[in-house]
Amino acid sequence: MSTTTSTTRATPTPSSLASSTKFKTFAITFAIVGPVIYMVGLFFNWPLFTFHPATNRIALGWEAARSGEGPNMTWYGWTATTLLAGSVVSFLATLLPETMTRKIPLILVWLIPFLAIPYLAWDLRQWWFHP
Amino acid sequence: MTRFRAVPAAGYATAICVLWILTFIVGSYIYTKYRIYIRIPIEQAGYWKTQGFFDFKEHVASIALTLLPAYWFFWKNAHNPQYDTARKMVTVYLAIACWFLFIVGHVLNNVRGFGS
Repeated sequence: MSTTTSTTRATPTPSSLASSTKFKTFAITFAIVGPVIYMVGLFFNWPLFTFHPATNRIALGWEAARSGEGPNMTWYGWTATTLLAGSVVSFLATLLPETMTRKIPLILVWLIPFLAIPYLAWDLRQWWFHP
Repeated sequence: MTRFRAVPAAGYATAICVLWILTFIVGSYIYTKYRIYIRIPIEQAGYWKTQGFFDFKEHVASIALTLLPAYWFFWKNAHNPQYDTARKMVTVYLAIACWFLFIVGHVLNNVRGFGS
Protein backbone atom coordinates (compact mmCIF):
# COMPACT_ATOMS: atom_id res chain seq x y z
CA MET A 1 0.00 0.00 0.00
CA SER A 2 1.44 3.32 -1.03
CA THR A 3 1.37 6.50 1.03
CA THR A 4 0.40 8.66 -1.91
CA THR A 5 -1.88 11.48 -0.82
CA SER A 6 -4.29 13.71 -2.64
CA THR A 7 -2.79 16.54 -4.67
CA THR A 8 -5.61 18.97 -4.14
CA ARG A 9 -3.32 21.87 -3.25
CA ALA A 10 -1.85 21.81 -6.73
CA THR A 11 -5.29 21.88 -8.32
CA PRO A 12 -6.02 25.23 -9.97
CA THR A 13 -9.19 27.11 -9.15
CA PRO A 14 -11.68 25.65 -11.60
CA SER A 15 -14.42 28.24 -11.85
CA SER A 16 -14.96 31.96 -11.72
CA LEU A 17 -17.46 31.55 -8.89
CA ALA A 18 -14.81 29.89 -6.74
CA SER A 19 -12.42 32.75 -7.35
CA SER A 20 -15.02 35.47 -6.83
CA THR A 21 -14.40 37.58 -3.73
CA LYS A 22 -18.09 38.49 -3.62
CA PHE A 23 -19.11 34.83 -3.52
CA LYS A 24 -16.48 34.22 -0.86
CA THR A 25 -18.00 36.98 1.26
CA PHE A 26 -21.51 35.64 0.65
CA ALA A 27 -20.57 32.05 1.53
CA ILE A 28 -18.62 32.94 4.66
CA THR A 29 -21.26 35.39 5.90
CA PHE A 30 -24.05 32.91 5.17
CA ALA A 31 -22.27 30.19 7.15
CA ILE A 32 -21.86 32.56 10.10
CA VAL A 33 -25.23 34.31 10.21
CA GLY A 34 -27.29 31.29 9.08
CA PRO A 35 -26.90 29.27 12.30
CA VAL A 36 -27.26 32.46 14.39
CA ILE A 37 -30.53 33.39 12.66
CA TYR A 38 -31.77 29.83 13.03
CA MET A 39 -31.06 29.80 16.76
CA VAL A 40 -32.57 33.25 17.29
CA GLY A 41 -35.64 32.19 15.29
CA LEU A 42 -35.88 29.07 17.40
CA PHE A 43 -35.49 30.96 20.68
CA PHE A 44 -38.14 33.59 19.86
CA ASN A 45 -40.22 31.16 17.76
CA TRP A 46 -40.12 33.24 14.59
CA PRO A 47 -40.97 30.90 11.71
CA LEU A 48 -41.65 32.66 8.43
CA PHE A 49 -44.76 30.53 8.17
CA THR A 50 -46.54 27.65 9.89
CA PHE A 51 -47.66 24.62 7.93
CA HIS A 52 -50.67 22.55 8.95
CA PRO A 53 -50.05 19.18 7.23
CA ALA A 54 -53.46 17.63 7.88
CA THR A 55 -55.24 20.45 6.05
CA ASN A 56 -52.31 21.61 3.84
CA ARG A 57 -52.84 25.12 5.16
CA ILE A 58 -50.02 27.66 5.40
CA ALA A 59 -50.24 30.61 7.79
CA LEU A 60 -47.81 33.49 7.85
CA GLY A 61 -45.67 33.59 11.00
CA TRP A 62 -46.41 31.32 13.94
CA GLU A 63 -49.83 29.82 14.39
CA ALA A 64 -50.94 27.29 16.98
CA ALA A 65 -52.46 23.97 15.98
CA ARG A 66 -56.21 24.30 15.62
CA SER A 67 -58.59 21.92 17.27
CA GLY A 68 -59.61 19.16 14.89
CA GLU A 69 -57.08 20.19 12.21
CA GLY A 70 -54.10 18.10 13.31
CA PRO A 71 -50.64 19.30 14.33
CA ASN A 72 -48.77 22.38 13.16
CA MET A 73 -45.23 22.37 11.72
CA THR A 74 -42.81 25.25 12.23
CA TRP A 75 -39.54 23.72 11.05
CA TYR A 76 -40.20 24.70 7.44
CA GLY A 77 -40.81 28.24 8.63
CA TRP A 78 -37.63 28.38 10.75
CA THR A 79 -35.61 27.09 7.82
CA ALA A 80 -37.24 29.58 5.43
CA THR A 81 -36.53 32.42 7.88
CA THR A 82 -32.90 31.32 8.04
CA LEU A 83 -32.43 30.98 4.28
CA LEU A 84 -34.20 34.25 3.49
CA ALA A 85 -32.70 36.44 6.21
CA GLY A 86 -29.30 34.78 5.82
CA SER A 87 -29.32 35.45 2.08
CA VAL A 88 -30.28 39.09 2.57
CA VAL A 89 -27.58 39.69 5.19
CA SER A 90 -24.98 37.84 3.13
CA PHE A 91 -25.91 39.78 0.00
CA LEU A 92 -25.58 43.05 1.91
CA ALA A 93 -22.16 41.89 3.12
CA THR A 94 -21.03 41.52 -0.50
CA LEU A 95 -21.70 45.23 -0.97
CA LEU A 96 -19.14 46.11 1.69
CA PRO A 97 -15.59 46.97 0.62
CA GLU A 98 -13.19 44.04 0.47
CA THR A 99 -10.95 45.64 3.08
CA MET A 100 -13.81 45.11 5.55
CA THR A 101 -15.01 41.68 4.46
CA ARG A 102 -11.46 40.35 4.53
CA LYS A 103 -11.51 40.90 8.31
CA ILE A 104 -14.40 38.49 8.90
CA PRO A 105 -12.83 35.78 11.13
CA LEU A 106 -12.91 32.43 9.36
CA ILE A 107 -13.00 30.64 12.71
CA LEU A 108 -16.63 31.73 13.10
CA VAL A 109 -17.60 29.67 10.04
CA TRP A 110 -17.15 26.44 11.99
CA LEU A 111 -17.14 27.60 15.61
CA ILE A 112 -20.76 28.87 15.58
CA PRO A 113 -22.22 25.64 14.13
CA PHE A 114 -20.31 23.65 16.75
CA LEU A 115 -21.52 25.98 19.52
CA ALA A 116 -25.05 25.58 18.19
CA ILE A 117 -25.02 21.91 19.24
CA PRO A 118 -25.16 22.49 23.03
CA TYR A 119 -27.69 25.28 22.50
CA LEU A 120 -29.95 22.97 20.48
CA ALA A 121 -29.60 20.25 23.12
CA TRP A 122 -30.66 22.79 25.76
CA ASP A 123 -33.54 24.03 23.59
CA LEU A 124 -34.86 20.46 23.36
CA ARG A 125 -34.65 19.85 27.12
CA GLN A 126 -38.41 19.30 27.27
CA TRP A 127 -37.85 15.96 25.53
CA TRP A 128 -34.80 14.84 27.51
CA PHE A 129 -36.41 15.56 30.89
CA HIS A 130 -39.99 14.69 30.06
CA PRO A 131 -41.48 12.75 32.99
CA MET B 1 -6.74 2.29 -1.10
CA THR B 2 -4.13 4.22 -3.08
CA ARG B 3 -6.58 4.81 -5.90
CA PHE B 4 -9.10 6.42 -3.53
CA ARG B 5 -6.45 8.52 -1.79
CA ALA B 6 -5.26 9.86 -5.11
CA VAL B 7 -8.68 11.22 -6.07
CA PRO B 8 -8.72 15.02 -5.75
CA ALA B 9 -11.18 15.59 -2.90
CA ALA B 10 -12.24 18.94 -4.33
CA GLY B 11 -13.90 17.11 -7.18
CA TYR B 12 -16.54 15.80 -4.77
CA ALA B 13 -17.52 19.20 -3.33
CA THR B 14 -20.20 20.06 -5.90
CA ALA B 15 -21.65 16.54 -5.84
CA ILE B 16 -21.83 16.54 -2.03
CA CYS B 17 -23.61 19.93 -2.01
CA VAL B 18 -26.10 18.85 -4.69
CA LEU B 19 -26.79 15.52 -2.95
CA TRP B 20 -27.20 17.22 0.43
CA ILE B 21 -29.78 19.64 -1.04
CA LEU B 22 -31.63 16.87 -2.87
CA THR B 23 -31.76 14.75 0.29
CA PHE B 24 -32.90 17.80 2.25
CA ILE B 25 -35.75 18.41 -0.21
CA VAL B 26 -36.87 14.77 -0.20
CA GLY B 27 -36.63 14.65 3.60
CA SER B 28 -38.67 17.85 3.82
CA TYR B 29 -41.29 16.28 1.58
CA ILE B 30 -41.74 13.13 3.66
CA TYR B 31 -41.55 15.11 6.92
CA THR B 32 -45.29 15.91 6.72
CA LYS B 33 -46.09 12.19 6.68
CA TYR B 34 -43.75 11.67 9.62
CA ARG B 35 -45.46 14.44 11.58
CA ILE B 36 -48.87 12.87 11.22
CA TYR B 37 -48.35 9.13 10.99
CA ILE B 38 -45.17 8.53 12.99
CA ARG B 39 -44.60 11.33 15.49
CA ILE B 40 -48.08 11.19 16.99
CA PRO B 41 -47.85 7.44 17.82
CA ILE B 42 -44.30 7.98 19.13
CA GLU B 43 -45.61 10.66 21.49
CA GLN B 44 -48.57 8.51 22.50
CA ALA B 45 -46.16 5.71 23.36
CA GLY B 46 -44.10 8.12 25.45
CA TYR B 47 -40.84 7.85 23.49
CA TRP B 48 -39.84 11.39 24.43
CA LYS B 49 -36.10 11.04 23.93
CA THR B 50 -36.65 9.45 20.53
CA GLN B 51 -38.79 12.45 19.62
CA GLY B 52 -36.11 14.78 20.98
CA PHE B 53 -33.50 13.19 18.75
CA PHE B 54 -35.68 13.73 15.71
CA ASP B 55 -36.08 17.42 16.54
CA PHE B 56 -32.31 17.59 17.07
CA LYS B 57 -31.87 16.02 13.64
CA GLU B 58 -34.06 18.57 11.89
CA HIS B 59 -32.13 21.45 13.49
CA VAL B 60 -28.76 19.98 12.53
CA ALA B 61 -29.92 19.44 8.94
CA SER B 62 -30.94 23.09 8.60
CA ILE B 63 -27.76 24.45 10.16
CA ALA B 64 -25.61 22.19 7.99
CA LEU B 65 -27.49 23.50 4.95
CA THR B 66 -26.20 27.00 5.66
CA LEU B 67 -22.60 25.72 5.60
CA LEU B 68 -22.76 24.31 2.08
CA PRO B 69 -21.75 27.47 0.14
CA ALA B 70 -18.70 27.91 2.40
CA TYR B 71 -17.88 24.19 2.18
CA TRP B 72 -17.99 24.37 -1.61
CA PHE B 73 -15.90 27.54 -1.69
CA PHE B 74 -13.23 26.18 0.68
CA TRP B 75 -12.84 22.97 -1.29
CA LYS B 76 -12.71 24.76 -4.63
CA ASN B 77 -9.89 26.83 -3.15
CA ALA B 78 -8.08 23.91 -1.53
CA HIS B 79 -4.80 25.24 -2.92
CA ASN B 80 -5.08 28.23 -0.58
CA PRO B 81 -3.61 27.36 2.87
CA GLN B 82 -5.55 30.26 4.39
CA TYR B 83 -8.70 28.12 4.28
CA ASP B 84 -7.16 24.85 5.54
CA THR B 85 -8.50 24.91 9.10
CA ALA B 86 -11.94 26.20 8.15
CA ARG B 87 -12.20 23.66 5.34
CA LYS B 88 -11.25 20.77 7.60
CA MET B 89 -13.60 21.81 10.41
CA VAL B 90 -16.57 22.44 8.12
CA THR B 91 -15.94 19.07 6.46
CA VAL B 92 -15.79 17.33 9.85
CA TYR B 93 -19.01 19.07 10.91
CA LEU B 94 -20.84 18.01 7.76
CA ALA B 95 -19.51 14.45 8.05
CA ILE B 96 -20.67 14.14 11.67
CA ALA B 97 -24.00 15.78 10.79
CA CYS B 98 -24.53 13.46 7.83
CA TRP B 99 -23.97 10.31 9.92
CA PHE B 100 -26.07 11.68 12.79
CA LEU B 101 -28.97 12.44 10.42
CA PHE B 102 -28.70 9.01 8.84
CA ILE B 103 -28.54 7.07 12.12
CA VAL B 104 -31.35 9.02 13.83
CA GLY B 105 -33.54 8.68 10.74
CA HIS B 106 -32.79 4.97 10.55
CA VAL B 107 -33.53 4.35 14.24
CA LEU B 108 -36.77 6.34 14.01
CA ASN B 109 -37.77 4.30 11.01
CA ASN B 110 -37.19 1.19 13.10
CA VAL B 111 -39.27 2.60 15.96
CA ARG B 112 -42.23 3.15 13.70
CA GLY B 113 -41.44 3.44 10.03
CA PHE B 114 -43.55 4.02 7.00
CA GLY B 115 -45.89 1.13 6.38
CA SER B 116 -46.10 0.24 10.09
